[in-house]
Amino acid sequence: MKANQIVTTNNRHSSSFRDPSGFIFTDRGVIKRSISPLYFEQYNALKSSNFFKKLHNAGLLISHEELSVSSEEIIIQPEQISFMNYPYEWSFNQYKEAALLTLKIQKFALENGFSLKDASAFNVTFHKGKMVFIDTLSFDFYKENSPWRAYKQFISHFFGPLLLAKYNGLESLKLMNSFIDGVPIKMVSSMLPLKTKLNPFLYSNIHLLAKFEEKHNEDYKGVSKESNLSKKAQLNIIKGLYDFIKKMSLKTSSEWGNYYDKTNYANDAFDQKATIIDGWITQLEAKTVIDVGGNDGTFVRKIKHQLHEALVCDIDYNAVDANHNYVKTHKETYMLPFVFDVLNPSANIGFNNKERDSFLKRIKAYAPDVTMALAVIHHMTLSGNIPFEMSAEFFSSFSKHLIIEFPKRNDSWVQRLLNTKGEFKAHFDFYNIENFESSYSKYFTLVEKVAIDNSERVMYIYKSL
Amino acid sequence: MTHLLYFDPGLGAMIIQAIVAAVAGVLLFSKNLLYKIKLFLGISKPNDDVFDDIDVKDSDIESKSNSDNQQ
Repeated sequence: MKANQIVTTNNRHSSSFRDPSGFIFTDRGVIKRSISPLYFEQYNALKSSNFFKKLHNAGLLISHEELSVSSEEIIIQPEQISFMNYPYEWSFNQYKEAALLTLKIQKFALENGFSLKDASAFNVTFHKGKMVFIDTLSFDFYKENSPWRAYKQFISHFFGPLLLAKYNGLESLKLMNSFIDGVPIKMVSSMLPLKTKLNPFLYSNIHLLAKFEEKHNEDYKGVSKESNLSKKAQLNIIKGLYDFIKKMSLKTSSEWGNYYDKTNYANDAFDQKATIIDGWITQLEAKTVIDVGGNDGTFVRKIKHQLHEALVCDIDYNAVDANHNYVKTHKETYMLPFVFDVLNPSANIGFNNKERDSFLKRIKAYAPDVTMALAVIHHMTLSGNIPFEMSAEFFSSFSKHLIIEFPKRNDSWVQRLLNTKGEFKAHFDFYNIENFESSYSKYFTLVEKVAIDNSERVMYIYKSL
Repeated sequence: MTHLLYFDPGLGAMIIQAIVAAVAGVLLFSKNLLYKIKLFLGISKPNDDVFDDIDVKDSDIESKSNSDNQQ
């Protein structure tokens, strides 16, 4: 066991330090979990009562295999997550799904004599078409008549951000990027509109909670006073939150939501583009792709070649939501939608900047066979002012092949973007196909290029140097 | 189990749960009542939501044991 222990401590994952019950480590690229003797009692009870098994079967908790048991540690190997995604990369309904999953698990745990000891949104990730709970050690014994320890955490990690998204705009979901331990309840309370105070459910869960927290913060000397709550009462909280969150919906209409209805594409051109992409992907026998600016996944779904997994990201929350809705209603497992701003990808955050990995770090490790960037380059170049060379360098850094669409200067959308530049329009004279090709040739070799009929657009497939 | 108290649950958040539960209890009761009345009058709407009910179904727990590698 000694040799094993050296491995485990050396490769301990840098995000795994909050819970002393155990930690995550990597062993030759495989994620494993070490369980400390502190948690043996709980672990054995969860295992022998088939609690783990039941949650695995229901697809709520990531499955695992027990590798070794000693008096010093138990090592388990969970099913590997191909691409970790974080709360600040979820659309509204993905966020909702994660919140509901957490509540569902807590209710099931209570019914089986356990309770979630934490309710962090980072314990959930989107994997194989659904949200799944990934922290196997989050369960503790339920102590009769004790309140839910993770209640406040649930509010600041899930309910608060969801309410802010609903009332203050979807971009509020990005707050989790700054508040790794949940959005402060006082802040949520102060940001929500007055009318939320008139709703008894929201008043008690948010505004009153904020007041209580502030009041007890002052006289709190670190001695935890015992407070009582019956199991039935706790179940009322859980069910109340579940019902409320399940019914939450958005009123906003999307800028991009009906993108394909208003693009400057003729239907034939659209189909031609799809055929070209399908041909290239099939030729490459690609298993994994990332579609940067993939909207609601329309183009990826047009690929007939069977993909193992497709990451489809977009800056637009509603497009990602539409994609998520499609995944849920069609029970797809290969599609992974997430929110992504190519001009500001998620950074490394947390202690030592190592708790949550940046987008670039994760995508480099994932190394998709093909990157698709359709109708993106003009936005990057003209709205984001990213020079061609810099976008080429970016795309070449994480995958071998790039399928990119270049809208020429006369394209109506390009014209629209250029016109917004006003008197600085001349500064964007470099935006033309020759400059694009010469910049991209510094990072890629051209495999093939095809112009789309009756349009100002050209499709390229590149191989990185 | 003090060793597991690795984050502050918030004293206020622990105390307030009794109030939150009472409010939720009243709401759940009245919603349930309303639902029964609607059902009785035949005006309840069908559920076309992509999200399930809170309860974990027995059929889900028993099937698909292939996904589990527990010893």
